Amino acid sequence: MLLTLAAASLLRHRARTLLAILGVAVSAGMLLDMVMLSSGMRESFRSLLVSQGFQLRISPKGTLPFDTEATIRDGDSIVTLLRGMTDVMAVSPVLGGQLHIPVANGAVATSALGIIPSVEGDYELVGGRQLARANEMVANDALLRALGRAVGDTVHAGSGYDSQLRSLAGERVLHIVGRARFVYMASEQKGAAVPITTLRDMQGRGDDKPVSLMMVRLAPDQDVEAARARIERLFPRVTVISTAEALQQVDERLSYFRQLAVILGAVSLVVGFLLVTTLVTVSVNERIGEIAVMRAIGVHRWRVVAQIVTEAGAMMLAATPLGLALGLITARYLNSILARFPGVPERIDFFLFQPRSAWTALALLAVSGVLAAVYPSWRSASLPIATTLRQEAVG
Amino acid sequence: MSVSATPGDAGQAVVIGAILRRGADPAEIARGEYRIRLHLTQLQSLLGYGDRVDRFAVATTSTQAIGDAQARINAAAFGFRAHRSRDIAVETSATFAVVSRFHRAIGVITIVASAIFLLCIMLLKVDERRRDVAALRLMGISGGTIVKGVVLEATAIAVLGSVVGVAFGALTSWIVNLHYQSVYRSPVRFSIVTGDVVLLAVSLSLTLGVIAGWLAARRLVRTPALALFGR
Repeated sequence: MLLTLAAASLLRHRARTLLAILGVAVSAGMLLDMVMLSSGMRESFRSLLVSQGFQLRISPKGTLPFDTEATIRDGDSIVTLLRGMTDVMAVSPVLGGQLHIPVANGAVATSALGIIPSVEGDYELVGGRQLARANEMVANDALLRALGRAVGDTVHAGSGYDSQLRSLAGERVLHIVGRARFVYMASEQKGAAVPITTLRDMQGRGDDKPVSLMMVRLAPDQDVEAARARIERLFPRVTVISTAEALQQVDERLSYFRQLAVILGAVSLVVGFLLVTTLVTVSVNERIGEIAVMRAIGVHRWRVVAQIVTEAGAMMLAATPLGLALGLITARYLNSILARFPGVPERIDFFLFQPRSAWTALALLAVSGVLAAVYPSWRSASLPIATTLRQEAVG
Repeated sequence: MSVSATPGDAGQAVVIGAILRRGADPAEIARGEYRIRLHLTQLQSLLGYGDRVDRFAVATTSTQAIGDAQARINAAAFGFRAHRSRDIAVETSATFAVVSRFHRAIGVITIVASAIFLLCIMLLKVDERRRDVAALRLMGISGGTIVKGVVLEATAIAVLGSVVGVAFGALTSWIVNLHYQSVYRSPVRFSIVTGDVVLLAVSLSLTLGVIAGWLAARRLVRTPALALFGR
């Protein structure tokens, strides 16, 4: 009975109901997008950081990994000491730099990582094989495309230019042995990896044994925070960052998007709320007489309220799948825009769908829909029956 | 105080000569790092850079000479390239171009939502006048006149709404600047209400208001007068 009455009431004004459902669906879609934006970025970055199984990252004092060109001098001795610790399972030192590779009409500059192949955690091989000898290199597709080369080819590469001799500095012949996808690089960024000793020699810094970053994998069930504090105490020249701290730094840098998500999400919720409130208020005002009659024949006040709340709930329910679909489509589109951020790793999703996000958005919307309907329906159900009937009859 | 390139090194003594304020550079807003300025030779000596530099800034005698100077430098250069400041500005503002595209996309979604909201409100507003419209029709007033009247009313509401909206937008923009300038400690203006933006917002609001009013009124005048009375 309750559902039949609610359905009849909604169907009586089809255009109005349709527009309301459409309006709520757009609000729901926007709300879902904003919930996805506020939590997705962080979750996406967290999965990226933990994907390679390293819990700690060590960078030069006061810097974030690869945020500056600073390096840790004599990094090998720190690596040796770290490997001697009982709670440390693996240490992966990385040196950053640039390689310049001459091509027919100039040179291609690429980001380069010096790594130790057995412990590296910076790329995934998608073709060819892992580095095994000194003068070998793995490259990503963007670099191979720019060079017009493939696995098995050989290139001449330098770490810089000697402008006085007009030649490449630290020139080497490198054999491309593998195709790789670099985990922390942007989608169109050209990237290559060579053994760390090769890159140091090319940079003329073989004696300094510099390292830009060290990634540390701890033994299972170790206290990450305690290990972080201990390493930082032992090596005052470095900053040790745990995944939690890295996430905090990301939060600070991308706080703009989080705040934008909160503001726009709140606006969407308010718009949805206002839309439902307006529609329910008008609908209730139109049916004052009908409600008074229902009350006069003995229908309980709560039953009247329940019918109107059911109407609002039905609108919300009908708008939900549409809103969900709209939200997912727009999230995909907005994500494709933000993915072009310079320097953002290819794997980062700004809008990450998580079932929890969808449930949060739906729950917020449902609560706002119910709240939007409760007040006008209670007010109308509380009007004096006789006076209302008289006013409606007289007009 | 003493500064060094490596933590723990003795370094060199420096005297703080002045305090810098951050420039209005959007590229710096999310970076909370500390910054110092030293004499070039002192920094080169601290870093062990010899006479290496990262870049030169070259001022030409006139803007017409820029292209020629760039071409001559690039012809003679090996291992470095000359770029126009304008091109570098475009390159380094790629982040903001992305943010701007994102804002435009969000703007389009907001406009769609507003349009539906406005259409709903206008529909309800006109629907409330069913009895008035029915009476007017029965008195012999033509449907065209009624539509014109409703559209005029919708226009008045849209104009009033636009004025309030522009004022609200200006206030919001002021609050946004106040908040983010203090958060990022930067004089960058995060939100600017320009004439173009106001014109776009007002035109959209008027167009949507008039269309919504017209649609709702047309729907009403097409319904028989007695049906509007509920008979």
